[in-house]
Amino acid sequence: MLTSFEKLIFILMVAVFGGLTAWGFYQIYRIIRRGRPAARFTHVIPQTVKALLEVGLQKPMYKSRPILTTFHALIFFGFSYYILVNVNDLLEGFLPGYSTAEVSAGIIGLLNLLGDVLSIGVLVGVAAFLVRRFIAKDKRLEYNKDVLLLPGVAQGGIKRDSLIVGLFILCHVGSRFTGQALRLAEMGATNPAQPFAGALSLLLRALPPSAFAPAIHASWWIAIGLIVVFLPYFIISKHVHIMAAPLNLALAKQAERGRLDPATSPTNGQGQALPLPGAATLADLAWPRLMDAYACIMCNRCQDVCPAHNSMRPLSPSALEINKRYWLNANFNAFAGGASSPPLTEWAISPEAVWACTTCYACVRVCPVGNEPMADIIDLRRRLVNDGAELDSGVQSTLEKIGKTGNSFGQAARNRAKWAASLDFKIKDVRKEPAEFLWFVGDYASFDARVQEITRTVARVLKSAGVDFGILYEAEKNSGNDVRRVGEEGLFEQLAEQNVAAMSKCTFERVITTDPHTLNALKNEYPDYGGKWETIHYTRLLAQLIDAGKLQLQHKLSHYRVTFHDPCYLGRYNNGFNPPRALIRAAGCEFVEMPRNKENSYCCGAGGGQIWMGSTPVGERPAENRIREALAALDPSADGAGGNAKRLLFVVSCPKDVVMYSDAVKTTGNEGKIEVRDIIQLIAEAMGEGRLLTSNHKPQNAIPA
Amino acid sequence: MNIVVPIKQIPNLTDELEINGDGTGLDHDALQYVLNEFDEHAIEEAVLAKEAAGGTVTVIGVDTTGELDGALHTALAKGADKAARITGDFPRGTDSHTQAKLLANAIRSLSPDLVLTGVQAADDRDGQIGPMIAAHLGLPYVGVVTGVAVKDGKAIVHKEYAGGLMGEFEVSLPMVVGVQAAHQPPRYAPVSKVRQIAKTAKIDEIAGDEAAGAGSTVRRMFKPEAAGHAEMWEGGPEEVAEKIAALIKEKGLLKG
Ligand code: SF4
Ligand code: SF4
Repeated sequence: MLTSFEKLIFILMVAVFGGLTAWGFYQIYRIIRRGRPAARFTHVIPQTVKALLEVGLQKPMYKSRPILTTFHALIFFGFSYYILVNVNDLLEGFLPGYSTAEVSAGIIGLLNLLGDVLSIGVLVGVAAFLVRRFIAKDKRLEYNKDVLLLPGVAQGGIKRDSLIVGLFILCHVGSRFTGQALRLAEMGATNPAQPFAGALSLLLRALPPSAFAPAIHASWWIAIGLIVVFLPYFIISKHVHIMAAPLNLALAKQAERGRLDPATSPTNGQGQALPLPGAATLADLAWPRLMDAYACIMCNRCQDVCPAHNSMRPLSPSALEINKRYWLNANFNAFAGGASSPPLTEWAISPEAVWACTTCYACVRVCPVGNEPMADIIDLRRRLVNDGAELDSGVQSTLEKIGKTGNSFGQAARNRAKWAASLDFKIKDVRKEPAEFLWFVGDYASFDARVQEITRTVARVLKSAGVDFGILYEAEKNSGNDVRRVGEEGLFEQLAEQNVAAMSKCTFERVITTDPHTLNALKNEYPDYGGKWETIHYTRLLAQLIDAGKLQLQHKLSHYRVTFHDPCYLGRYNNGFNPPRALIRAAGCEFVEMPRNKENSYCCGAGGGQIWMGSTPVGERPAENRIREALAALDPSADGAGGNAKRLLFVVSCPKDVVMYSDAVKTTGNEGKIEVRDIIQLIAEAMGEGRLLTSNHKPQNAIPA
Repeated sequence: MNIVVPIKQIPNLTDELEINGDGTGLDHDALQYVLNEFDEHAIEEAVLAKEAAGGTVTVIGVDTTGELDGALHTALAKGADKAARITGDFPRGTDSHTQAKLLANAIRSLSPDLVLTGVQAADDRDGQIGPMIAAHLGLPYVGVVTGVAVKDGKAIVHKEYAGGLMGEFEVSLPMVVGVQAAHQPPRYAPVSKVRQIAKTAKIDEIAGDEAAGAGSTVRRMFKPEAAGHAEMWEGGPEEVAEKIAALIKEKGLLKG
């Protein structure tokens, strides 16, 4: 079909634009190599197969925004299929007399049918995206007021890029589709394998016959020539995600979610100076974090689920990735060649934003391309702490307290087990006698007056179920989970070493924890410090006891309608979704899920050291937002009509949640409408006071003020 | 410029304080010791002064706990350059006169330009260490200081008076300053740095003269004792006024 001259031009274009593109990708490779080493090349082949399968099914995208994802899937399937289509187009262009538009039978017929239908899919999908961005002006594509944005981003760079990419796809696919219709029209043929192009061809038959040949040439160039021209633009466009995203997913972190990457790269130890922990500039980040910038499609899904963003704090995980990418675009050759970036806190993310993260993992979980904005934030904190940057006064004083006393309350170690003094049995000192379970109680459960009664209830339930358990008394220290997440790597190590040393001297089989944060550190991070025990949350143990018939619940608490909040560090981080639900079912409560549950659970706002900080966000606090969500789900208005009003409970299983949500119930003015209960209180009530071994305490239903 | 910061450790006030068997002091062995908060400010002010005008910061203390090194390592991690420990048989709670004498003897050999120490400490609340060091060394002293700037052999110090009044002094160096607060909050010392320093840093040892001095003695130490209690009067202003008048009459303060 093409003239020899056209063929020559095309080959030249491929050489020039292809060469430019290849060079661009090589530069991207050099840029990513600037990041510090990270252990990522394990199980590459199964991981790649998995990533390709998941991308093929669009699974990572269906984690959120199902409708938009369906439009994306249309574009994705069409675009992927177009690899075949475009090869065929090339053959049509270069092989004289080769033409397939009219073929309706055999394999080519099938190819035609799929190509025709999928073309329409792509056009519909892109049109939907353009409408959503430029006409409906989806709010989710905007940023909070004080989010740090590079000028290129602030001036609408993403919009422009999206428009270019959208128009490119419309032209490429639209032109190819029109080309098919023109061919059919020229031949005066119809093709049942090309129903849509066939329909268009009926209209195009009206063209003067002399117009067909040039029009067909033009459509070929707009479809195929355009790709070649567009290739180098990939390098600076977010559209490069079509390559970077699958690669990123294939090389994604495979360790436990709750095990942070090391603060420094592994060195060979040959007399090198110790590298500084964490990151100040772009090249300090681990290389997968630089790849994140290239994989990012700038969809803001991470921002949608971010509790800091939703409470109007100046943090946007997507803005961080996008700033990184725009900076790299602007300093492409220089950075590839070894230039260093200014500190990230000056242009990628503000210090206020760095300190606003609750380390809830929601952004990482939801990101369809496998990015980890949270990892950058923790690396930044690590370096800020190391450099003696001015810290939030609450964080600093808590770290100092933990350093001095081993707990975040600054209490003397010998007060740690004081909560147990009013029990009428003595809890085993696991340092002195063996026990099946070592119960790692945690700071909040031990010291916070609002939580101690709940801690005692845990002890009484365990005792009544015949569990053989002991505690470490004053030898227990803060687990360091949140210490590590505010960036104080050294203090975390010290705490881990001290706890592991204390625990190593004891005889026990498994560890149970009350606090999900503690669970996370012990289960996922202590193994690196020699603490290799099986650690489970008490909700899991209780569910096991009920299954084994060792814990019997006498009463059905059917007068409660309850919902359950998955704590980030129990649920999303450690997959502890089912035991709490099993316990609630076993207690006979009516159970209602909130819209955001399990993997999608919404952080209470306390994690990552936030509970130590004094600052309150401008917007609605995450815990308040959650209480409102719970009330809507529990629908109090459904009660009362039949005269059998149920009491509404907000059930939690984390000592910090007891504190956070009891407070939020008050500040939202919902006292009397909904009560916060720890799951252990439901279990104790369902067991019946008579069956609880110790009886010097009344069942504590309400949270003590 | 040679800056010296004498420090001392005191009981952690978040601990429950116990009185010893004789009722003359705290039960020191049951207590955890931490660095005096005002000394933390003195260290910060010293490091800030060094950062502004150059020099070296030496932190020095009498080891009354056997754990002074921890405090010295932390000070080094915050930016002090040298650390020294005065050794000898000095028990926890050694009085301020003895400590001041020991410190003065040690500091003399360091020939300081500026001595910065906490204006007081929560254990004895007598605020004597600074002035006594100054007296032993024959140097000028200004206390309750909230900021020091050094220039041309002189120090400009800001002193805080009651009622929010501020005074500015120009003092020729060398001098001794009792620091109330550094002009920035004391910085955080990351534990990894402290641990690194603990492995490598060298702490000078200075043997203390055991008969160095004698201070005041505490005759009796006791927990606050409840003495009577207040009675709350309720009612409107008229009613309460009448009750007050009646009481005054009853006590015989008013005639008629
Ligand atoms: S971890 Fe949570 S708070 Fe932090 S950036 Fe991600 S979504 Fe936001
Ligand atoms: S980091 Fe992931 S979720 Fe966030 S904008 Fe980029 S691609 Fe979307």
